[in-house]
Amino acid sequence: MSQTRAEWRQVTARVASQREHGFGHYWLDLEVPEEFGTPEPGQFVQILLDAGSCLLPRPMSVAGVKSGKRKTLGFLYAPVGIGTRALAALGQGEELSALGPLGRGFPLERPGTPVLVAGGRGVAPLLFAASRLGALGRKAEFVFGARDRRHLVAAEDAATTIKRLGGRLHLCTDDGSRGTRGTVLDVLARIAPEGACAIHACGPHAMLKAVARWAMARGIEAWLAMESVMACGTGVCRGCPMPRSERGRQAFSPGAPSLLGNREFAMCCTEGPVFEARELDWERIH
Amino acid sequence: MVRARAKARPATAAGAARPASPARGNGVLDLTVRIGSLTLANPVLTASGTYGYGDEYAHVQDPSRLGAIVTKTVTLEPRAGNPPTRIAETAGGMLNTIGLENVGLARFVAEKLPALRRMHAVVIASIGGETPRELERLLAALGGDPAIAAFEVNFSCPNVAKGGARYWAVPARLERTLKLLRARTRRPLIAKLSPDVLSVGDLARACEAGGADAVTAVNTFVGLAVDLAHGGSKLSRLTGGLSGPAIKPLALARCHEAARAVTIPVLGSGGIMNGRDALEFIACGAQAVQVGTASFIRPTAAFEVLEQIETHLREMGARSLDQVRGRFGADATRSVDGRTATTHTRAAASPSRRVSARTS
Repeated sequence: MSQTRAEWRQVTARVASQREHGFGHYWLDLEVPEEFGTPEPGQFVQILLDAGSCLLPRPMSVAGVKSGKRKTLGFLYAPVGIGTRALAALGQGEELSALGPLGRGFPLERPGTPVLVAGGRGVAPLLFAASRLGALGRKAEFVFGARDRRHLVAAEDAATTIKRLGGRLHLCTDDGSRGTRGTVLDVLARIAPEGACAIHACGPHAMLKAVARWAMARGIEAWLAMESVMACGTGVCRGCPMPRSERGRQAFSPGAPSLLGNREFAMCCTEGPVFEARELDWERIH
Repeated sequence: MVRARAKARPATAAGAARPASPARGNGVLDLTVRIGSLTLANPVLTASGTYGYGDEYAHVQDPSRLGAIVTKTVTLEPRAGNPPTRIAETAGGMLNTIGLENVGLARFVAEKLPALRRMHAVVIASIGGETPRELERLLAALGGDPAIAAFEVNFSCPNVAKGGARYWAVPARLERTLKLLRARTRRPLIAKLSPDVLSVGDLARACEAGGADAVTAVNTFVGLAVDLAHGGSKLSRLTGGLSGPAIKPLALARCHEAARAVTIPVLGSGGIMNGRDALEFIACGAQAVQVGTASFIRPTAAFEVLEQIETHLREMGARSLDQVRGRFGADATRSVDGRTATTHTRAAASPSRRVSARTS
C-alpha cells in the first residue's frame, strides 16, 4: 500500500478505446507497456497531452486494470476543463504520455468489512477497489450517492462488480430520482456493519469531509481519496499540501522521507492521495 | 533561427577552426562551462525547487550526466511552506506559491548531503535566508563541504513574507551581502535574481562587485490568477511566481540585460522546454541554462534539453557553444536602462566571449 520510494515510470501510452459512458462521461482504456507498474486502487497516473492544450499533466485515478495480452488501464472522467476536453478528443490508437503509478492507494487489507463510499464520478477508483476485493474473495458494502440519477455515473458497472463479489450496492440521490432519497451518510447510518469495518471513500471534498467526521465520531476507520491541484505528481514540486491534524502532526515521524511531506503538511501526491480521516485537519480543507 | 544566423556570421576564431564540411553527428563537442573555479561538463542545470535535493529522480536518469543539479533552497530552520492552494495553471505557464518549503540545514547535512555524495553529480546547493547573517551562518556550516561544488544564493523567492525577492532587490544590500558571503567560502557563489525589478543589470552589477562568480537570470515573475467563482485568488497567498513557456521572452530579455551588464557568467532560466529554448538563452549571453518547470512535466526534460543542444550544434557543424553564444550585435549593446554595456571588458575577462566582442 505505501509507496515511499518511487517506482513510477513515464511511458508512451496508446488509446485502446474511448467511449461515452453516460451523462457526459467518458471511459478511456489506455494501453501501457509492460514495464509500467500495475496500479493499486486509489493510485493515480499523470496523463500528459501534447503541448497546445495545457501545460501540466492531469492526475487521474485509475478505475480499472486489465492485464491480458496488453496491460490496459481504465479511466472514468468528465471533459470539464481544457485538459480533459483535449483528452476526450483523442481517438483509438493515439498516443499520450503516462507517468505512474503514483501515490498511496486504499489499504483494502484493513480488518473488518470494507465499506466503499462513492460520490458522483468519484466512483472511479472504487470500481477498481470493488473488483480487487472480488478477486480477493472479500464481500463489501458499496454506497454510491449523487445529486440526482444522472450523476450516478457508471452505476451499472458498480452493480455488476458488486454482484460478482456478493456484496450489496446502495444507491442514493439527493432528489430521490434513483435509489433512496438522501446522502451517503444516511445510508451509512443505516447499513454500517455491527462489527469492525473500514470505509474507503472518494468524491467531492464536501462529501469526504462529512464522511470523515461521521466516521471519526464513531471511531470507524475511514480512508479518503483526496484531490488537489498538482504539478509534478511525484513529490518534487511540493505543490499539493494537505494540512495535518494535531494527531497527524504528532504521528509524523521527523525521519520520514522528505518526499512525503513535513510536520505541517502531507503531500497529496506521495503520502496521499488516500488519507485516514484522523490524519488531516478538515477545518482547513476546502 | 540559430542555424540561419550561424551561416550568416563572418568567420571568427571559433568559426575558422570549424571543419569546412562538418561531420554531422560524429564530431566531439566541447560543452564545458566555467563558473568561477568550477568547470561543468555541459551547460544544462536543473533549476532550484524543481528537482528536489537531487536524488528524487535518480532512478529515472543519472543526475551526474547534467552540468549540475541545483538543490531545493535550504534555510537554517525547516520550513513547512505555504498553505494550499499552492499551484495554479495559467496559459502556457504555472503559478506557484510553495513558500520555500524545505528540510532545514540540520537535516540537509545529515541526510541529503550523504545521498548527494553517493550520486557523484555536481551539486550546487541553493541557500536562502531572511537576512545576510542567516546566509552567512548557512555558508559557515556548508561552505567547506566536499559534496557541494558551488552555492546559489536565492535572492529572489517571490513567495515568502520576509527575505524574499523584494527585500533582496536592492543593489547595495546584494553587494554588501555577497562580500560577507565571499569571506565564508572558496566555492563559486551564484546569485539568483528576481526579474521583477527596474534593472536586472543593476542587480547583476552589484553581485559582481560583491564578489559573485555568476548570476542566475531569472527566478519566477510575480503573477496572480483569479478565481471568479469564489471572488479571490486561486492561490492561498494572493500572488505566486509564474514559470513555464509563458515567461520565456521576458526571461530572455532580462538574461540578455544581465549578460550585457557583467563580465561574470550568467545562467539563463525561464521557460526552457527544449534545446532550442536553451540555445536562445545562450545566444542572449548565458553561459549555461537552468531547466525548471519542464521537469515537472517530464522528469527527463533537462536530459532531453542537453541531447537536443548536442543535436543542434552538430547540425550547425559547431564544436562548442561559442558559435551560438552572445550572438547579439551593436544594436543590442544598450540595455533597457539606457546604459552602454562594457563589451570590451567582458571579452577580455572571458575567452569564450570573444565571439560576442567581435560581432558587437
